[in-house]
Amino acid sequence: MKKLARPRPLLALLLSAGALFAHHGNSAYNETARIPIKGTVTEFVWVNPHSQIYLDVKDSSGKVVNWGIETNSPGILTRAGWTRRALKAGDRITIIMCPAKNGQPVGYAGSGDPGTKVIFDDGRELLFTDKTK
Amino acid sequence: MRIHSLSPIALVLSMLSGANAQAPSKVAGGPAPYRDLSGVWAMQPAREVSEDDKQSPGGAIPPLTAWAKARFDLEKPGYGKRAAPGGNDPILQCDPMGFPRILYFPTPFEFSQVSNRVLQMFERDNVVRQIWTDGRALPSDPDPLWYGYSSGKWVDDATFVVDSTGYDDRTWLGAAGFPHSETMRVEERYQRVDRETINFTLKIDDPQAYTKPWIALPRVFKLRPRAEIRQGYCVYSEENAFTRRIREPGALNTGAAPRK
Repeated sequence: MKKLARPRPLLALLLSAGALFAHHGNSAYNETARIPIKGTVTEFVWVNPHSQIYLDVKDSSGKVVNWGIETNSPGILTRAGWTRRALKAGDRITIIMCPAKNGQPVGYAGSGDPGTKVIFDDGRELLFTDKTK
Repeated sequence: MRIHSLSPIALVLSMLSGANAQAPSKVAGGPAPYRDLSGVWAMQPAREVSEDDKQSPGGAIPPLTAWAKARFDLEKPGYGKRAAPGGNDPILQCDPMGFPRILYFPTPFEFSQVSNRVLQMFERDNVVRQIWTDGRALPSDPDPLWYGYSSGKWVDDATFVVDSTGYDDRTWLGAAGFPHSETMRVEERYQRVDRETINFTLKIDDPQAYTKPWIALPRVFKLRPRAEIRQGYCVYSEENAFTRRIREPGALNTGAAPRK
């Protein structure tokens, strides 16, 4: 039997990383990268035009760093099935995001960059795909 | 010759059976309704040819006049060939996005038709643009407005054409910082080819800023019957907090190698 190719999710993400419709108004992020960060939500800011997810992430030395992730407006997120209660402080999540080019603990995850998403520890996912299409 | 008159009930039955007998429409979503653009519409994403096309009409950007070049050189955009983090894009502090840039921002708008106007309601900033349909001419010396002065007409039963001018020249034509003058003329053509689809073209005529007309990339709007327009106000205090917490750290020059 032919051996099945092992899935290579990171490579697939990198290949699909063209920014089709990014709209967050600056070039601070590396939109060709998709990086996972795992941590505990400290704050979910549900405001226009940029909602924000803040989370505590342990770095490789064990130090906790608070990351800020820019995401879409409540309008776009609502059409993707989110609500203002989609995330709350204490949630354990992984975010697949585009990191800042300058190495600061900020990034972008949203409809502008396909492949970005939020994954809860229990496997549930929050995506940025418009469900009203 | 004697003419048989149909009773009202027979007339209704005959109309119903006639409707049932019609062949199913071969047009996606059914044919376009008569002179009607009502509904929520979303521009379909298109692969942008270059970074200069972000939130912009796209297409070949015509040569800039000296006046426009001087303005362009002062802009510090977040996108395009001169992109740098931070910058002076007016929308970073919630200044109006302006027209036609707002049309290319990836949130939907709604058309609503009233007796003497077509209203174009954008989610971004909760903007309502009035397009007069009572046949009036554009003013010869209009006060510059963030969303201009617009007059529209149906040129056939499916095509609505809008002419506009009087745009405040502090707005950009896209995220790359291309300027326009207050006397910019914009012509938009919304051709509803079926119930779900508008084929859209746009032309900018602005001799003060460009040596030739700017012909936008043709785009498509799709009807979104299940989508609703939210109140998408940009609030300066909230945007300022976002800038302090995320935008400015992301724009710091740390000398770091790009994070891989």
